[in-house]
Amino acid sequence: MKIVVCLKQVPDMESNFKIIDGSKIDESQVAFKINDFDNYAVEAALQLKEKNGGEVIIVSAGPDRAAKDIRQAFAMGADWGIQINDPAVQAGDNFVIAQNLQKAIEGIGGVDLVLTGVQAEDDQAAITGVMLADLLGLPHCTNVVKLEVNGANMVVNRELEGGLNEVLELSAPAVLSIQSGINEPRYPTLPGIMKAKKKQLDAKKAADLGAGTESKTEFVKMFFPVSETKAEIIQGDPATAAKTLIEKLKNEAKVI
Amino acid sequence: MAKILVIAEHRDGKLSEGTLELCNAAKAIASAMGCEPAAAAFGKDDAIANEVAKYIPTVYSVTDAALEKYTSDGYAQAAKAVIESQDVKGVLIAQSYDGVDFAAKVAMAIGAGIVSNCNKVDVEGGAPVFTRNTYNGKIQEQKKVKTDKFVATFEKGAYEVAAAGGAGAVSAVSASISNVRTKVKEVIATMAGAVDISQARVIVSGGRGLKDADKYKDIIIPLAQKLGGEYGASRPVVDSGWTEAARQVGQSGKVVTPDLYLALGISGAIQHVAGMKGSKCIVAVNKDPEAPIFNIATYGIVADLFEVVPHLMEGL
Repeated sequence: MKIVVCLKQVPDMESNFKIIDGSKIDESQVAFKINDFDNYAVEAALQLKEKNGGEVIIVSAGPDRAAKDIRQAFAMGADWGIQINDPAVQAGDNFVIAQNLQKAIEGIGGVDLVLTGVQAEDDQAAITGVMLADLLGLPHCTNVVKLEVNGANMVVNRELEGGLNEVLELSAPAVLSIQSGINEPRYPTLPGIMKAKKKQLDAKKAADLGAGTESKTEFVKMFFPVSETKAEIIQGDPATAAKTLIEKLKNEAKVI
Repeated sequence: MAKILVIAEHRDGKLSEGTLELCNAAKAIASAMGCEPAAAAFGKDDAIANEVAKYIPTVYSVTDAALEKYTSDGYAQAAKAVIESQDVKGVLIAQSYDGVDFAAKVAMAIGAGIVSNCNKVDVEGGAPVFTRNTYNGKIQEQKKVKTDKFVATFEKGAYEVAAAGGAGAVSAVSASISNVRTKVKEVIATMAGAVDISQARVIVSGGRGLKDADKYKDIIIPLAQKLGGEYGASRPVVDSGWTEAARQVGQSGKVVTPDLYLALGISGAIQHVAGMKGSKCIVAVNKDPEAPIFNIATYGIVADLFEVVPHLMEGL
């Protein structure tokens, strides 16, 4: 099986974010890592490769810093990759990213399965994978929590509200967005890390791929949310705060 | 007059709560943009369309045997048929499991820009400006579309649920639904027979901040027992296998409304908040003062939970 995993490098969400001019986050203050959901997609692809043979190809749109995390996926076991490193693509919206991923995947040729994470932790859009499927002319399923592949036939569980799963069938080639918890993503081994350094990573620009960079949406600004109902923050050292909290729960909220 | 169109979502003959919220959203957005609110309902017959008509004045119904069950191919084709045969300016879809599965496909089918996971719309100069959560809820952004039509999805709770009572007009729109490439076999309950924490009066929930399975068990379970309640978890804890899925609180897990909900080491992602915001009293303990959980908590302690919990155990 030839499996493509679309991977995004995102900031660590525990970072102490600073916004510059209402337009972007201060990258000097944050550490970057593989989007959590994409880690599960990489693991799902590696498990399919181990079972059925084939190769796992990482396709990622991101600037120079993204190479570190593409190689992280190589260290987990992915075979090679394409990095779409183009400021015009970075500045584009999900539609631009989807188009560039589409052209890169079509350029690889003969791909049986495309896996993405459910969403990126930074933009929380959950639309790029579905757009990609549409552009590739392939069926898709989102929020996949179970995946069985028998040749070209696939049975997948799609997560629904309240612990329900929809069980559905579709045929490869297809695009699946993988939900967290479907597997246990592996940690790279030392030999894996050594091998990753030598694996092929092709750099492409939109023009190389023949993909557009024209967005359908426009960013206006970013800001920190202002909540109308902020918690009453209990002050003091842990012992004092715990004591005050217990008093408040007993006498003010009357819930214990 | 141009329409702001809600795509109705339903399962087992029942409209989703998100759809009822969107009926209110459509009214507010339509009024600000000089448009009219409307909805589209897809099914094997008009039953769901008639149901939506209680909440919104105009309903377009697409009926086809292939629309009996939700599929992204079926919904995208039916939505396209309604949007292209009517004067539709904007399309509203819930940021639900089904919504996430087909909204972007509708946008692609009509060539429109899509802004997903919105919680607010302002109309400036006649054009909608969408506000949405990013960076795990820590930062919000505003976006606009550059296309004539728009598609927007809304997170749950962005608008109040619309009240029933109207008698909207239902009209049929014909569409040929073909080449549906996913086949629904069944819907299964993954938590049948497992523990039910939804009736507990007190719930102590742990998140990623618990660090590992042993610490989760050593900290969360004794505190829950001391308070005579149940213990719960956020999604990362269940994904990591520290406790069973039936204890997961949130959109994909249980919706709980206890008297007291203690969120320890939980950042407060919208998917988790959707499952516990109805609790009477919410206590959050988190090291990160920027964690969104503090926006919905009643009481908060900004500290390392491992330093606070022993004092709670001692004082209770």
